[in-house]
This record gives sequence, C-alpha cells and structure tokens, in this order.
Amino acid sequence: MRNVERMKIVLGLSFLLLAAGCASVAKMESGERTLGERLAVTLDGDWNHVNLPGLGPAQVWTMEGLPIDQLLIYSGLKDGEVVHARDGNSKSKDFAFRSAMQPEEIVTMFEGMLTRDGSRFRLVKLEPATFAGKGFRFEYELVRKADNVRLMGVGYGAVSKGELFAMLYSAPRLTFFARNQPRFEQMARTARVKPSP
Amino acid sequence: MNRRGFLAAACACGAGFLPLAASAQETWKAPPRFVRPDIASDEGGLWALMDREERNLRRSPFALRDAKLKRYVQDIACRLAGEHCPDVRVHLVRTPYFNASMAPNGMMQVWSGLMLRAENEAQLAAVLGHEIGHYLSRHSVERLRDVKARAGFAQFLGLFGLVGAVGQMGLVAGMYAYGRDHERDADRIGALLMHRAGYDVGQAARVWENLRLELIARDEGIENYSPLFATHPHASERQETLEALAAELPGGTTGESAWREHVRPFLREWLQEEIKRGQHEESLALLGRKILIAPEEPLYPFARAEVYRLRAKEGDLEAALADYQEAVRLGGEPPETHRGLGFIYRIRKDAARAQAFFQRYLERAPDAPDAAMIRSYLKELNV
Repeated sequence: MRNVERMKIVLGLSFLLLAAGCASVAKMESGERTLGERLAVTLDGDWNHVNLPGLGPAQVWTMEGLPIDQLLIYSGLKDGEVVHARDGNSKSKDFAFRSAMQPEEIVTMFEGMLTRDGSRFRLVKLEPATFAGKGFRFEYELVRKADNVRLMGVGYGAVSKGELFAMLYSAPRLTFFARNQPRFEQMARTARVKPSP
Repeated sequence: MNRRGFLAAACACGAGFLPLAASAQETWKAPPRFVRPDIASDEGGLWALMDREERNLRRSPFALRDAKLKRYVQDIACRLAGEHCPDVRVHLVRTPYFNASMAPNGMMQVWSGLMLRAENEAQLAAVLGHEIGHYLSRHSVERLRDVKARAGFAQFLGLFGLVGAVGQMGLVAGMYAYGRDHERDADRIGALLMHRAGYDVGQAARVWENLRLELIARDEGIENYSPLFATHPHASERQETLEALAAELPGGTTGESAWREHVRPFLREWLQEEIKRGQHEESLALLGRKILIAPEEPLYPFARAEVYRLRAKEGDLEAALADYQEAVRLGGEPPETHRGLGFIYRIRKDAARAQAFFQRYLERAPDAPDAAMIRSYLKELNV
C-alpha cells in the first residue's frame, strides 16, 4: 500500500472519529498558556489541541493535523506514572517515569514509548538546555512502522520536584518538520514551571 | 510467524504430537514447484497481494540489505527448500522480535530479533524449516479459505508479518492464525527438512526451550501470558515431543561457528534494539544464556549491564557495574561501556572515577549524540 494511500486512510479514520463525536479539537491561540497545573508557555501562533479517547497522560497538539505532526506535552508526570496510553489487552512493555531518572534515561524511556509499535528511533543529539529551569534537549529521527514515513523530532525535558515536564514534537522530515520546528522551539524556550499550588 | 505466536502454537501442538514422532522417518515427498495461480482465483489474488507487499518490503527502511548476510540466510533457506529454492526469496527485516514468516508467493521474512536469539545455523533452520513446511503444504491458502467465512482477514495477514497493511505489530494475530493441525504438519516437515539438509534436529527443541525461558522470566509468568498457555499443554511437553522427533532423526551439525562469524558484525546493533525494547526480564534471560554460550564476547556483558542500569531495581547498579567491568576485562568493549561506568560512579558520587570514565568515553566516541551532555557532566564534576 502506498504511503499516501495509508495516510488517507488514517486521516479518514480521524475524520470519522471526529464526525462520530469521539474526538474534539480545541484551538490554542497565541499568548500565555498554562498546560496542566504547573507548566506555563507563551505561544507564538495557534496550535490545535486534540482530544481523543485513550490518548494517555500527554496533551496532544498538532499544527498540520494528526498523524502528520504531533506535539506531546507532559506537565508534571509523577514517579511511577506511565508515559503513554495503556492498552488493556496488550502485553507490550509499559514505559514509566521514575523521579530518579537522568536525562539519558528519560530519553531512552521516550525512545521505548515511540518504538512500541516497532518503529525505529535514532538519537541525533542530547544536550543540556534551559527548559523549565535546568533541563535538556534532544533531537531524533523516527521511521514509523505503520507507513515507513521518516519523521524528525525534537524534545525538551526537565525534572522538577520529582515530576517530569517534557515536550516532544515530531513531523515528517520532508517539509513539515522544518516548517513548524521554529514555532515549537520558541514555545519550548518560554516554558517555565510554576510553584506547586 | 511471530515470537509469541510461534511459542503459543508450539504449545498448542503438544497434545497431538507424540504419535507423529514415530512416523517421522516415513517418506515424505515435497510437492513439485508451485505455478503462479490464475489472478482471478482467490489464491491468485493472495499472491498478488503478497507481491505488492514484497515490493514495499524491498523499499522499506526496515529492510536489512547486507548482501553477505542475506546470501548466507538465503543459502540456509535453500538447503531446506530443496528444489523449491528458486521460489524462496529471503528478506531480512530490522525488528527486534522473534519472527519469521513465509508467504505463498515465496516471500520469506526473517526478523533481526530471531537472528539475535538463534545460537547457531541449525536453530535458525528450525524456524525457517517450519515456515517452509507451511509453504510446501500451502497452509496459507487453506487458511485463507477458512477465514473468509470468519471475518478474520486481518489476523490472516498477520501470518506474513504485514504489519503495515494491518496497522499493528501482529503480535497476537499470528497466535491464532494457523490451526493445530497445520502447526503439527509444519513441525514434522520442518524437522525432516532440517534432517535432509544435514542439521541437528535437536536444536529445534532448544529454540522453544529458550523462548519459554524468556517468557517465564516475565513478571506475569507464561501461564498468564495468553489464553493458549492457560488452556493448552505446557511448552515443556512440546519440547519433549520435539526431542523425541530428534531421536528419530539423529545426527547433523549445528553450524555454530559459521553462524557466529556471519552475525557478529550485526550483534551490536541488534543488542541495542533489544535493550531499547524495555522488556528487561526477557532481555536478562536472553543475555544470561548468551553469556554462558559465548563468555569471551564483550558485547553480551555490556548489553546486560545496560539492561540492569535501565531497569534500576535494587541491586541492579551493582550487577551493571560488574558486567561493565567484565566487558572491559574481555577487551573490545563498545565505548558506551565507559559511559555506563561513568553514570554509575556519578550516581555514587565518586567524581574522580566518573570523570575518568566519561573522558574515556568521549575519547573513543567524540562525535557521540550525547557528547554535549557528557561534557556538561564533566564540567559539573569539576566543580
């Protein structure tokens, strides 16, 4: 099956879910936003916040529409919490956050999450970064198993008071990643963790 | 067939398998080479579907295109397939799960997770022979006709590892794909093909036993792993029947040294993929076995150390430290061994040792993706 045909099917299914009322999309407009309870960012442009049943602990945003590009936002994941949606019938490994994790272990955890379906991940860069205080930034390539599409991704993360704050943006290497990466980077640079309520 | 399906089916076959062992040496003749069926027939349509998937597979970024390894595995398949050799086309696929499959048009997929687990040529031949057994018996065509009435087509496609087409890993699909009788036939034919090709049939039982030990290592235990394990004879029973079959078909070689020589260049990549699966208990069972078989190979203690470090249960850091040190002692260890030692000493707040190992890592891998992060640790340790 050609990739374009597959993409059409996935998009068609997404449309059907939306039409069936199973999903909703909220516009996230420019300006100051608080994501979850403690992560604050400034948006330089609009995003779409997708709500689908069973998406898991991360907020899912997109610029172009799923499954073209995807931004996962973790706002205060606690020790022991799983970073992805749990499939009750699956015997696949769950990947859970531990508050003692070092940056490379957190990246490995995300790698495991992103490759649960057999996709391939390659770490391109891992470096210290200012994100929600003292954090880290990583770049990666992902070949999606379902359709062989090559994606590029960039992520930021930080552990604050034992909770994980992270953002992962990925999009097809051709066209879409370059188009939206600057907007994502701008958003990540403004991220800050608010004090616990 | 996928790893779980393979083992599950293996268990499923156990009950009715013993009587077959006695007749293992009966003359079995392979059918003549298959002719491409009429496209208008159901079988012709299936071939066309598989042809299309094979074209996709050739272009896939998951294809492992190393000519030498591919030729080597193709030769093993050819030894087993006999006069059907020209119709068998082996495709190596980078996916860290135990899986091999064969489609009715001759497309054979062999996943890297299977090659990592095989200890010798004969063990790979056991799996390939089993799949060729399905092919020669045209089980997929029988199954196609059966599932058409049961709306199980997606599961049926899982037989051939068409994960893209069905949009999932097919981890469960294969489990129910072939029936007991088909599995029994494929095992018997596979053992005969192994024997005729000069392989030690006893290695077939080792394959199942190794898989069983990996699955047992999982927290939930093998009986809870799937309904089939709960309701069908235990894997050990099947192992016994395969051993009985091997006694009927004695002799043969394992091809261990040739196997090691051919897969050695890929071990590091396959082990990295195995580690990143996050199935720590299974990986530890696998690597413990590998270390016993090849105690001189530094990649195995290195890989086990990485698994221990990532699992991070009580006592795991100590176990990781010992394995990293063993890899260094053996020599030829990957640069990441020193990074791992640096991580452990950093956690232990042993700044001097952490610095020394991080520096050694950067000397050996100056362009590593995480070099900037490691330099930041060095800076922090200098304070």
